[in-house]
Amino acid sequence: MNKAIKSDNKQKVVIVPCSGIGKTYGTVSREAAYEVVENVRPGQTHLVALSLLVLGDEKSRESVSQYPSVTIDGCKLACATKMVEESGGTVAKDFAVLDVYRNHRKLKPKGIAELNEAGIKLAQVLAEEVAEVVDRLDFDAQPKQSTEGCNNG
Amino acid sequence: MVDLPKKKVGIVACSGEELPEGTVTRLAALKVLEQLRPADTVTICLPLFLAGGEGDRAFAKFYPTIAVDGCELRCAALATEKYSNKPAASIVVSDLVQEKGIGSPSGLRKLDQAGQEAVEATAERMAFLVDELLGKRWSRQEGEFTGTEDATEVQIENEAACACVTGIPIQKVSIEGQEVTLIGLPLIFQQFQEDSKSPSDATKKELLETVKIYNPVPIGAEDTYAEIILHEYAIFCNGKEPVT
Repeated sequence: MNKAIKSDNKQKVVIVPCSGIGKTYGTVSREAAYEVVENVRPGQTHLVALSLLVLGDEKSRESVSQYPSVTIDGCKLACATKMVEESGGTVAKDFAVLDVYRNHRKLKPKGIAELNEAGIKLAQVLAEEVAEVVDRLDFDAQPKQSTEGCNNG
Repeated sequence: MVDLPKKKVGIVACSGEELPEGTVTRLAALKVLEQLRPADTVTICLPLFLAGGEGDRAFAKFYPTIAVDGCELRCAALATEKYSNKPAASIVVSDLVQEKGIGSPSGLRKLDQAGQEAVEATAERMAFLVDELLGKRWSRQEGEFTGTEDATEVQIENEAACACVTGIPIQKVSIEGQEVTLIGLPLIFQQFQEDSKSPSDATKKELLETVKIYNPVPIGAEDTYAEIILHEYAIFCNGKEPVT
């Protein structure tokens, strides 16, 4: 599969969080996504709502098909990842909140409407991990030094 | 096909992460599900209509559903209709705040005062609609209302007398020495048999979940209930020819 993903200097990585309302991990995924687009990497990322992808909103589909996406799922059903793929997008990295929690057991999230302190901290840790991926994607998108001729024989 | 009485209303919130009104839908839905009408409501994540299975897509046909949208795009209402079934009712937060004279909500992560008022208003409207929908007869086969009935007929408690009055099939089972009446159990068994589901461990959890829609199952007794119900289902299946 060779999708033409935009890779210019203005590249924006699409962040797609889970939209679950019934579990704390869904809330962590959203909090992490907001943290990335508002605080950690505001210039390089933008958020696409899952509901718009479900509806088939043209603008949102265009976003995920043109730019690489980082998905953050709250449960194993992985709706965010599946919906980006379903919408013709490329998932550069799919995060699962549970996996991040497994690596940071002390940060046990609680609360759905409002996260506890550990949950907010977990979201921040997750946001940093997302930021690393965003930076890597951004780096890959920079114009390359002219070494391409080597492959042309 | 069997037609089980409906005790619950489905809530589908758009949850739009890019708009404060989306946050309002999420928090309002949560308030109804957890505080205002916990016994009468269930929810599903909107994306599951596409990312999930056939069971998820049956949601709005099985439950009369309220779609709660943040804006005029009405993702929840339209996607529910497209992939599952027409919602029984619909709320658009941007319309509701205008109707109520509440200011535009702001704050994606933390709603301002107007946002919090919008949550209250949306949750109240939702609870009102839940009560209204529970008072109507819902056909799971058709995925639509088939007439009206008294709300008390639908909201049957675990009393056999109520079931007799409304003609709802019940079955009494013995659980840890206690006789327990399970409403709709024969119909649930019939439904499972028609769907060619054998009495196995794989079916056990699904049976319990279906039973729980119509019956209270005490916390901590789920495993016991599941075992007994599966046992009863095995007896039911052995006594009848599977539907082909």
